[in-house]
Amino acid sequence: MSIADQALTDDLAARRDMIVCRGVKKWFGDFQALRGVDVTVKDREVMVVLGPSGSGKSTLIRCINRLEVHQEGDIVVDGVELTNDTRNIEKIRSEVGMVFQQFNLFPHLTVLDNITLAPIWVRKKAKAEAERTAMELLERVGIPEQAAKFPGQLSGGQQQRVAIARSLAMEPKIMLFDEPTSALDPEMIAEVLDVMKDLARGGMTMMVVTHEMGFAREVADRLVFMESGDVVEVGTPEHFFTNPKEERTKLFLSQIL
Amino acid sequence: MTDNPNAASVIQLGGRPPIWRNAAVLKWTVQFAVLIAVLGVFWFLIAEARTNLSAKGIPVGYDWLDDPANFQLAEGIQTVDSPERRLTMSRALWVGMVNTLRIAALGIIFATIIGVIVGISRLSKNYVARRFSSVYVETLRNIPVLVQIILWLAILGSLGKLTADTGPIPGWIIISQKGISLPRVFLADGFYQFVSLLIVLSIGIRFISRSWRRRQEREGGDQRVGLKTFGLFVVAVVVSWIANPVMGFLGPIFDAISDGWGAIPQGLMQTLLSVVAIGAAVAWIKRFLNSRRTPAGMAKLIDDDWFRMVFAGVASLIGVWVLWRGWPGLSSWMVNSGSDFWGVLGDKFGDGRGAMPFDAMRPTLSEGRFVNYGDTGLTLTVFYAALFLGLVFYTSSFIAEIVRGGILAVPAGQSEAAAALGLNRSQALRKVVLPQAFRVIMPPLGNQYLNITKNTSLGIAVGFSEIVQVGQTVYNKNSQTLAVFSIYMIFYLACSLTISLVVNSVNRRLAIVER
Repeated sequence: MSIADQALTDDLAARRDMIVCRGVKKWFGDFQALRGVDVTVKDREVMVVLGPSGSGKSTLIRCINRLEVHQEGDIVVDGVELTNDTRNIEKIRSEVGMVFQQFNLFPHLTVLDNITLAPIWVRKKAKAEAERTAMELLERVGIPEQAAKFPGQLSGGQQQRVAIARSLAMEPKIMLFDEPTSALDPEMIAEVLDVMKDLARGGMTMMVVTHEMGFAREVADRLVFMESGDVVEVGTPEHFFTNPKEERTKLFLSQIL
Repeated sequence: MTDNPNAASVIQLGGRPPIWRNAAVLKWTVQFAVLIAVLGVFWFLIAEARTNLSAKGIPVGYDWLDDPANFQLAEGIQTVDSPERRLTMSRALWVGMVNTLRIAALGIIFATIIGVIVGISRLSKNYVARRFSSVYVETLRNIPVLVQIILWLAILGSLGKLTADTGPIPGWIIISQKGISLPRVFLADGFYQFVSLLIVLSIGIRFISRSWRRRQEREGGDQRVGLKTFGLFVVAVVVSWIANPVMGFLGPIFDAISDGWGAIPQGLMQTLLSVVAIGAAVAWIKRFLNSRRTPAGMAKLIDDDWFRMVFAGVASLIGVWVLWRGWPGLSSWMVNSGSDFWGVLGDKFGDGRGAMPFDAMRPTLSEGRFVNYGDTGLTLTVFYAALFLGLVFYTSSFIAEIVRGGILAVPAGQSEAAAALGLNRSQALRKVVLPQAFRVIMPPLGNQYLNITKNTSLGIAVGFSEIVQVGQTVYNKNSQTLAVFSIYMIFYLACSLTISLVVNSVNRRLAIVER
């Protein structure tokens, strides 16, 4: 481990835990998707989750805001444990933003209404205030002129940027990204990644499932490599891209790079 | 053309194609030919029917509508002939239409409520609710509706006999094998004043409520705008109930309008209507030309466009011809019926009225050879109930499937996104899933509404006095089968088109903007 890596690890260790997964197991029928995952994400950390398809990456981050229910192990988000208590679930969901591969914008609402829906109904904000915030967020993701349009009228890249703005409108402490660029045309990937890099520089705690190695190398504080529901290896980008320890990691990286 | 370097390779077909190859001319010629052919066939059939009916000594036309009915109806807004209110053939058919509309409207409301509840329960996480609604749907939609209606009649027929002290609450609520009779609430003399005052107050409330809503949007939080508005509305109802006579001043105004309308000479009416007809054509052509205007100037009009504009002009000229030569009676009919309409309205607001807006009567029994329900209560016969229950349960099973399908058609990602934003289940359903499910649900739901309306004609099987049953009695008496069937067709067509119109306009409003 290089000196820079050691410094980063020490710095992270001093920070607060934002997401803690301990021995998380999850079955879909007979199929075990997670086989006891231990991962900790620190405050203001960007963690990228890598792995072949079917390795449980998406399942893991979907468990973190309870879109999937894990069957064994503990998940603690910002000090709140995920249980069947609906109050805990609502608290965690309103603090954790999520961006999906398929955008999942609400097609019957305008871009502005997509962004203001949750602040008005969950946070009980005044409409005018919510709209002001929404316009600021649209400025930030670079498409304020699309506010009055419907999602169907936007390109994929613009839709994904709206989806990011929609999550940010709830002022989350953590952002989860589930393959945010996988459904995009190549020329639109950059515009979404730029927004995400901007977000990371602003100190957002992020957990990102992606196949964009350039993004992982440039932005991530730490990488997690998963395979068949297990965490194989955790480390800094430098560690991963120069001398990964595990054979399976090497094999995966050689295929993807 | 001469500047085009490729001009040599372009095959010159000449400026205009000959008429027999011109697509626009061909299209319009064929359409006119088909229209004239269809009208010709109808003309022939009607003429043929007229000759044959006259040969059998059956009068042709609709004069029989004013004949006395000479039969009684089982139920409806008027059942028997009396010196004050004659029961003519047309009146009897009208009673049948009202019965049909009543059962269709009520059936649509109840089938929708039950269908939505069952449809949502089929997707419920609760095992019992899910199984129950599956059995409900699979049973009811697989038994013919006629069988269900007759089954209900058999079940209801096994209720107790009607006697003077039949209950559950004798004199108030009476249930027997002849049906159910309840106290009836009806519109009393003050009703029109009450409604007009309520409308005036409601407009005021709308303004107040809107300013409250704006404040809520400015300041946020929950300021209970809906609750406060409802409170104001309740106050308005009470005020209108007590103070409704103040609207009596409208009576003389309506009378004056009626007199003015009636004083319009026929020639003036014809002129006004002609102006409307020509104005409509001119407006249509203007709009059409506007739609052909591009930023670069007027687009070149093709033959098709000219045909359309000429057609609009010709149609309006035909209208004018009808007004002055073809059917001059139309204008005087409009003068008379318009004057009548305002006169009746003036009557409703006349002096000495303006008391209670509603009144109520208890059910009574008529003592004859057989005990029967009198006509003061709100009576639903077993025939009505059997038809109603059969139609409602049968149709609700289809509506349940439509609702289930509509909700399933919304991608799972939508509710996941709503949940990830922190919306709870009911908010996600109301704000995200149902608005999108609606656009899938609406068109087939409209079909079910059409079905329930048309299926009311099955009332003939249990002797419910709906339009088909009444019509059958009519043509059994006077042999006017074709005329009665033409009335059926126009009536059902009017119902169906109204429902389609409503459903389509709702659909347009729900449509999602794609590009």
